[in-house]
Amino acid sequence: MIFWEIAKRNIRIHFLRSTLAMLGIVIGVVAIASMGILGNSMVSMVSDSLSSVGDSVIVYPYTGGGGGGFHGGSSGSTENMKITDQQFQQIKRVVAPGIAIPVHSTSERMKVGVSKDYIVASVYGVDPQYLKDLNFELTAGSLNNANSGCLVGSAFAKDNNIKVGSRISMGTDGSKGTLRVTGIIKERGMSFDISTDNAVIATQDWFEGTYNTGKYYDELVVKVKRDQDTANVKTIIEKQMNKRDKVVMVIDSKATLATIYETFGAITSFVTAIGGISMIVAGVSIFNIMMMSVNERIKEIGIMRSIGTQKKEVMSMFVYEAAIIGVIGSVVGGILSLLAGYAISALMLQSTKYLWTLSTVSSIAGGVGFGIVVCLACGIYPAWQAANLNPIDALRHE
Amino acid sequence: MVFSDVAKVYPLPAGDVRALDGVSFRVDRGEFISVMGPSGSGKSTLLNLMGCLDTPTEGDIWISGTRIRDMSDTELTALRRDRIGFIFQYFNLFPLLNIIENVTFPMMLKSGRGVDPERGKEVLRAVQLDEKLFTHTPTELSGGQQQRVAIARALINNPDILLCDEPTGNLDSKTGAGIMDLMTELNRNGTTIIMVTHDQNIADYSRRTIRISDGRIVP
Repeated sequence: MIFWEIAKRNIRIHFLRSTLAMLGIVIGVVAIASMGILGNSMVSMVSDSLSSVGDSVIVYPYTGGGGGGFHGGSSGSTENMKITDQQFQQIKRVVAPGIAIPVHSTSERMKVGVSKDYIVASVYGVDPQYLKDLNFELTAGSLNNANSGCLVGSAFAKDNNIKVGSRISMGTDGSKGTLRVTGIIKERGMSFDISTDNAVIATQDWFEGTYNTGKYYDELVVKVKRDQDTANVKTIIEKQMNKRDKVVMVIDSKATLATIYETFGAITSFVTAIGGISMIVAGVSIFNIMMMSVNERIKEIGIMRSIGTQKKEVMSMFVYEAAIIGVIGSVVGGILSLLAGYAISALMLQSTKYLWTLSTVSSIAGGVGFGIVVCLACGIYPAWQAANLNPIDALRHE
Repeated sequence: MVFSDVAKVYPLPAGDVRALDGVSFRVDRGEFISVMGPSGSGKSTLLNLMGCLDTPTEGDIWISGTRIRDMSDTELTALRRDRIGFIFQYFNLFPLLNIIENVTFPMMLKSGRGVDPERGKEVLRAVQLDEKLFTHTPTELSGGQQQRVAIARALINNPDILLCDEPTGNLDSKTGAGIMDLMTELNRNGTTIIMVTHDQNIADYSRRTIRISDGRIVP
């Protein structure tokens, strides 16, 4: 159709101007789509690295001040920074039928097998009777019962070439004795209760005997039953324990997970919205060049109208022009945003494995779609104005 | 074309301006008429009304038996496209289109799709344009050549009336004479021509002159 041809040629003769407008759209689409890709990759990465188990409530001794993280403060061994056996018994009663599991934790130097190099890893002490409640899945071996046995996390096993039966010499020069690996725990990701991936899980008796801790625990893991709500359990514990003074800190794993996902979702929306601003700027520049295009062609529009061109045909000519710029700019932007998403993910997340997902495709499709819509929206008013010029005045225009 | 007691009033803040007042005349098929008058006489208004770019405030205009009053913009536009050929002082070709495309443009408007360029070439030959120029752009042509293209464009849809606004106003007298010879020939072959001019020499080519002054026809 002739109007399509005219639109194409007009873009071609104003090549620089049109290219700059397209560049604006390209930048807008890249900003939106790559931010979307980054955000989605970030969420995927976080959800991959977090254990998705939402059935735990974790109780830490209240250390005063600002919390100190999930596992912080356990190295100071003053008794008031531990959970006492009495407190454990109280909590055990109130959370029933949920199960309260007392956990010792520390970190320790150790050597594996005949290796000369020391490594440092977390060491937990858990009563073997609770291991099945912690839902550890094993990739090899079995849950240990013997005092000198231990379980290790899969990442720890892999990094140090540990197999079932391997021996770990604990402490400097084996001062804390030797543990024999009886099982390897499947990768769980970072978890709120016990992060097993890079840890050694020994028995409670071994831990208490080796470190002389007595019945003072570093944390309690409360596994709630299906008909219990983690938020309720958290409230019950807080009510029971923190009556007069704040003595424990309670973390609801489900609510915390939800908060983390919400936060990342909000970050994604926010950075995408910032990308959106650049799209608005691009839209303004499209509007601007379309107005210029109309203004410098008023006479031509007058001639067209006077020799019998309908309003809607004049309008279509300008809409085509905006559409060509929009589609080319958006598609180029879509292609580039894949590269940009790749680069940003590689740079910021050190990983591009989350790039090839449906959410990436939808981010790009969303960016491209939004780019085209913005171009059309910004082209419609100038086109409408062109179509509705009075032919007599337009013809007289110099 | 019949004008019956036509008036055109432009409402202005300082009061209404009657650009045309009680104008009546009739143009028969095959006529060659010139419209003359000083600037401000209502010539342009008359031209806009004849070209269906505007509608009268009072009175009626018929073109080929169709009353143009009360017609919608879409209908008037279609009427311009199918029944009227426009020739302007400044040629007014489309700079983005080549000669053939310029000439066949109204045909494409009418059919709504691509057209056979042969018909365009045929009309271009009829206005005696050099075949070598057919694929050039308008800016590569001289004024006289451009006006021939404009005439070809005006003729392509076989209009009932060829409406010319100072067709030689922007040409030297020799080239202008060539254009007028072409118009005379077209008229001899049956084309109805109405030409607005202030140049008596040009008006002399026509067979009848309507003189207009202060919005009225001078008898």
